[in-house]
Amino acid sequence: MTEKIKNIVLTCVMVVLLFGLTLFAWFKPTDDFSDSERRELAKFPAFNAETVFNKDSNKTFMKLFESYSLDQFPLRDKFRTLKSYVAFNVFGHMDNNNIYVEDGYAAQLEYPLNEESLDFATGKFGAIYDKFIKQHGANVYFSIVPDKGYFLAAENGYLALDYSEMFALMQEKMDFADYIDITGELELSDYYKTDTHWKQENLLDVAQKIGAEMGTPLSEKYTQTLLDNPFYGVYYGQSALPLPAEDMYYMTNAMLENCIVYDHQNMRQISIYDMERAFGKDPYEMYLGGNLSVVTIENPSASTDKELVVFRDSFGASLTPLLVEGYKKITVVDIRYVQSALLGSMRDNRTGAPLVDFRNADDVLFIYSTLILNNSNTLR
Amino acid sequence: MLFSSIPFLYYFLPAVVLLYVIAPKCIKNSVLLLASLVFYAWGEPKYVVLMTVTIILGYVLGLLIEKYQGKKLSKLFLILSLVIDLGFLAYFKYADFFISNFNAVTGIGVPLLRIALPVGISFYTFQILSYTVDVYRGGVAAQKNIINLATYISLFPQLIAGPIVRYSDIALQLETRTHSFEKVAVGIRRFVIGLGKKILIADVLAGLGTSFAESADKSVVFFWLYSISYALQIYFDFSGYSDMAIGLGKMFGFDFLENFNYPFISGSITEFWRRWHMSLGTWFRDYVYIPLGGNRCSKLRNIFNIFVVWMLTGFWHGASWNFILWGVFFGIALLIEKMWLLKHLKKMKVLNHIYVLVLVLFSFVLFASVDLSQLGANVGGLFGAGGIPFINAETVYYLRSYAVVLVLAIIGATPLVKTVATKIKEKAAGAKIMNVLEPIALVALILVMTAYLVDGSFSPFLYFRF
Repeated sequence: MTEKIKNIVLTCVMVVLLFGLTLFAWFKPTDDFSDSERRELAKFPAFNAETVFNKDSNKTFMKLFESYSLDQFPLRDKFRTLKSYVAFNVFGHMDNNNIYVEDGYAAQLEYPLNEESLDFATGKFGAIYDKFIKQHGANVYFSIVPDKGYFLAAENGYLALDYSEMFALMQEKMDFADYIDITGELELSDYYKTDTHWKQENLLDVAQKIGAEMGTPLSEKYTQTLLDNPFYGVYYGQSALPLPAEDMYYMTNAMLENCIVYDHQNMRQISIYDMERAFGKDPYEMYLGGNLSVVTIENPSASTDKELVVFRDSFGASLTPLLVEGYKKITVVDIRYVQSALLGSMRDNRTGAPLVDFRNADDVLFIYSTLILNNSNTLR
Repeated sequence: MLFSSIPFLYYFLPAVVLLYVIAPKCIKNSVLLLASLVFYAWGEPKYVVLMTVTIILGYVLGLLIEKYQGKKLSKLFLILSLVIDLGFLAYFKYADFFISNFNAVTGIGVPLLRIALPVGISFYTFQILSYTVDVYRGGVAAQKNIINLATYISLFPQLIAGPIVRYSDIALQLETRTHSFEKVAVGIRRFVIGLGKKILIADVLAGLGTSFAESADKSVVFFWLYSISYALQIYFDFSGYSDMAIGLGKMFGFDFLENFNYPFISGSITEFWRRWHMSLGTWFRDYVYIPLGGNRCSKLRNIFNIFVVWMLTGFWHGASWNFILWGVFFGIALLIEKMWLLKHLKKMKVLNHIYVLVLVLFSFVLFASVDLSQLGANVGGLFGAGGIPFINAETVYYLRSYAVVLVLAIIGATPLVKTVATKIKEKAAGAKIMNVLEPIALVALILVMTAYLVDGSFSPFLYFRF
C-alpha cells in the first residue's frame, strides 16, 4: 500500500467509524435501565434557558448531556468489557474501577481501614444499646461478616483491610456486647464469585456457631433448593467481564414455610423468600424481601419462647432464616432504611404494640459485614 | 467541551466536519467561528460575551493601530489594547490572588471576588496581544474581516489549551488554505495519538495521583513514584492536547507550529525550555524578554530581564505563589546555566540528562504543591522525612498496577518509537507493512479510547485552569 492510498484508506475508515458510531448514538432507541449496573440510565436532558444557564454546574444541560451521551452510547456494555480487558491484560492493572478478579472470584478493593467509620457505626450501635436495650437486660452479641477480601486480597498482593485491627477495634468499641467470631466457619468458597455476598446454603455452620454462642443450639435440617434463574452478582456488572452465571440456592423446610413474616415498611405479609425479587434485578433481595427497614418473623413451630432482635445488613438477611428455629419471634432491623433513634416510638400497625419490642427480647444480635462497617455513613 | 469526551468525539466533531465539508469556501471560516463559539459556550456560556467583546476590541484596535502607524496614536491604541486585554486577564484570573496577598500584608479583610476563571483566557489573551503588537510593529497587516480575526482568536482546536498560535503564523491560512487527503490523514493520526496520550496515559496516571493524595500510608518509594508519574502526566496531558490541536488544525487545513519536542531528553534546562511548551517560551521571548532589552544590555539588566520573564511565565500558569516560585526556580537554573554551567553540561553525555530530570522532577513537585507546607511534605517525603518507611505493601501494589503504563510513558516521552518507525519506513517492505498496520492501529486505538471514555467519567484537562 502506498502512502497516498494509506492516507485515503485511513481517512475513509475513520470517517466510516466515527460517523457510523455517531449515527448509531444519535438514532438508537433510548435505554431505560442498565441490568449489569442495576441503575437507571440518564435520558436526554431538557434544553432550555434554565438548564443551559443553571447555576449548579452539575445540573446544566451540558453536564446532563455528558451523562446522557455516556449512558446511552451504543454497545456500551461491550465497550466497558473492552476497557476492562485492556486495563487488565494490556496495561497490567491489578484492578479495574476498584474491582479485581482472582481465582475466578471478583472482589472489590476495600482499603484502607476507616476508623472514623467504625466510630460512627459503633456510635450508632452504642446509642441503640443505651437507649433501648440496656434497661431491659437482654443479652447482646455482635458478629462481623468478613468480605471476600479477607480471603483473597492480602495473599494475592491486593490492597487489604487490616482485618485483625478492625476486629480488635470493634471488640474494644462494642464492649457492651459479646463478640461471636465466625471467621473460622467461613472460607472463600462460601461466597459467590460474582457478588459481594455469601451463599446461604453454606451458612449452616455459621448459624450453628452463632446459635451456640447465644445459648440457642440449632440442628434443623433444610432442603437446598436451586433458584431457576442464573445469578449474576453485582460485580458481574461492575467488572464488565463476561464472568459465568452462578447457581443460587435457598434453604427451606416446613418450619420456615409456616412462619409468619411481616414487612412493616410496606405493611404487608411476605414470605421468608420473596420469589418475585428472586427473578428481579437483584436476586439476592429474595432473602427476607431485600432492603426492608423492619421485618418480623413469627415461628409457630418454635420450641422456645425466646425472642431475638437482629440488626443487620444484606448478609444478615440470608443468615437470619437459619436462626429462626431457635426463636418464637425474630425482629430484623436494617438501620440503613430506618432512623435508629425512632425505633422506640414505632408501633406495629396491626396490634399497636412496639414495633421493635426490646422489653421481651432475650437476645440482641448486631451482625454487619466489614464492607458496611468500613463505609458506615449509610447507617441512620 | 473536552476533546477527550463522547460529546466532542461523537456529536460535536462529526457535525462540524460535515458542515465544514459541505459549506462553500467563502463561509468555511464562519462555520469554524460558529462551531468555536458553541464549543466555548458548552463549558461557560456567559463567558462567550467576554470573548466576543475581547475579539471586537482587538479587531477595532488592530485597525486603529494600523491606521495611525508611525504616529503617537498608534502607540496609544496599542497601550489601550494591552491595558484592556491584560486588565481582563488580571481581573478574571488574578484579582483574588492580589486581594488575598494585600489582606495578608495589611491585615485588612477585603472580600475576595471569587470569580470563575474563563476557560482559555490566558491563551486567547496572548493570541490577541500577539496580533495587536505585530500590527503595531508592522509585521502583519490588520485583519479587515472580523470573521477571520474572530476565527483566529476563537478557533476551537487551540482555544482552551493552546498552543499559542500567533496571528502572523496563520494570517495567510485564514484567507486561503489547502485541504487534502494527506493533510486530513496526518491530522487524524496526530489527533488520535494525542487523544491516546491524554486518555490512556495522562488520565490513567492521574488515577495514581489521586491514590497518592488519598493514601495515609505513604513511603519514600511512593513519593518518588508519584513525582515521576506527575511529571509524565503533565507532559502527556499537555502535549497530548497540543497534538490534538495540531491534528484538528490539519483536518481543517491549518498548520500550527509544534509545541513540544521530547523535552525529557534535554541535556540542559535551557534545552528543556526549547522543547517544552515552545509557543509560550517564544511568546515571552518575543513580546517580553526582547522588548525589555533581552541580552543586549548590562549584565545586571539582563539578569533582571530573565527574572521578570520567568516570574511571569510561572505566574501565567496560575494565580498562586507556587507557580511564581516554579518560574523563578527555572529562572535561577537558566541563569546559572547561562553564566557557567551550560558549557560543562554540553561536554557530558549522561550526567547532564540526570541533572535535567532531577531538576524537572523537583520543579513539578513545586508545581503540584498548593502551599509551602505541602511542598515541604512532598520534598521531604522523597528523602524519608517524618520517619516514613522506604517501601510498603501499598506502594508495591501501585507500583505493580502502574508499572506498564509508567514504562510506556517513559518510552513515549523519548523519540524511540518515532525513530524505530522511521527506520522501518526507510525500507520499501517496512513502509508497506507500516502503511497497512497504521490504519488498523489507529482504529484500534480509537475503539479502546472510546471504551475508556464510555467506562469512565469526566476527565478534565489539567491545562484548563491556565
